[in-house]
Amino acid sequence: MSDDGGLWLLAAGPAGATALYWALYRFYRNTDKSHGFERETKVEATPVTGSESDTKIDENNGTQQTRIDGDNVGAYRKRVQRIRDESS
Amino acid sequence: MTFKCTGCGAEVTVNTESAMTARCHWCRHVFGVNEQVANGAVPDAVLPFHIKKDDAVARIRQFVDKRRLFALKAFKEQFTPENVVGVYLPYMIVDGNASATVAGKGEIKTREYTRGTDNNKKTYYDADIYEVQRHVDFTVDDLPLESSTERGNLDVRVNTNNIINTILPFDTKNAVKWNASYLSGFTSEKRNSNVEHLQPRLEDQLLSIARAQVEASVRRYDRGVRWEQEKLDVHGTRWVSMYLPVWLYSYHQPGGSGGGLLHYIAVNGRTGETMGSVPVQQWKLLLAALTVGTILEGIAIMILAGSS
Repeated sequence: MSDDGGLWLLAAGPAGATALYWALYRFYRNTDKSHGFERETKVEATPVTGSESDTKIDENNGTQQTRIDGDNVGAYRKRVQRIRDESS
Repeated sequence: MTFKCTGCGAEVTVNTESAMTARCHWCRHVFGVNEQVANGAVPDAVLPFHIKKDDAVARIRQFVDKRRLFALKAFKEQFTPENVVGVYLPYMIVDGNASATVAGKGEIKTREYTRGTDNNKKTYYDADIYEVQRHVDFTVDDLPLESSTERGNLDVRVNTNNIINTILPFDTKNAVKWNASYLSGFTSEKRNSNVEHLQPRLEDQLLSIARAQVEASVRRYDRGVRWEQEKLDVHGTRWVSMYLPVWLYSYHQPGGSGGGLLHYIAVNGRTGETMGSVPVQQWKLLLAALTVGTILEGIAIMILAGSS
């Protein structure tokens, strides 16, 4: 067994305790719940456009991250910089 | 507000903060405030209760029965779901037509390889970075927004209004023209926010919907997308003020600097969807977590001792 494998195992106790605490807390208090309006509202949309103009601009080689830095493709409610028309 | 009773002509005062109907003290005629209230407190439409009280009580009991072990002792002792109240809560039901544009970066994996010796292997990835932009035009139908500032505050640190938010949506298509007689036997809350107040919340939700809509079009970016900018144009909206039916059970947990916390268990008065906040007995929860943590740590130490 490697050295860092051993250290990793020692974290099992605190990690397990914390995970169980939050899982039970959320089951009772449901603080993470809200109306899933993104999926539950009736939405009629035209086909999404823009994919034809995606362009390769750079490469990210030799990274150890499995996802892009700052991935928010599934975080619909996390707002990013809002662009507004200058006229309004 | 004072009204003339349509039954006998007597003058009757109704407190429109808390009630939309009253019974005349003289002739017992029940009358509502239908058209008379200023500042838009009278909604355009109402969705009548469909779930009966017995049904709501059963659903609340079932919800709590699954959450007894770590529940606050006082909550369990005082638990009387028969005290559930039928409440008409004020919402704005919004139809909208909008366009959204989002822009950011996406990555596609081109190579995956490992480096290092047996004991110290690490996985590396090569990826191409793309500039990504998407545009979508869409219409939303019957998006519900809380139109009371108190109910619209969904901060879970200070209240449990998120519980009531969770039991949305309602079958708002079946709403009927407002008539105060629907309120008899139920309580109601008053609307105090207007279209202007709710506009930022609507735009926020429309942007979220747009982001959900474009997700499928960026699947080829298998390392994900980082959206950096978003733009929303709202072309048109239609707002209907509506009372929606909710069965509400509440328990006030004392303590804390903010005067405690009001826990709700809510049942959708149409679909029966149930959600709730059950106060926890902290020491029990901590004890359970510590016990499990200790057992896990014991196993970890045993494995380490066995392998060395």
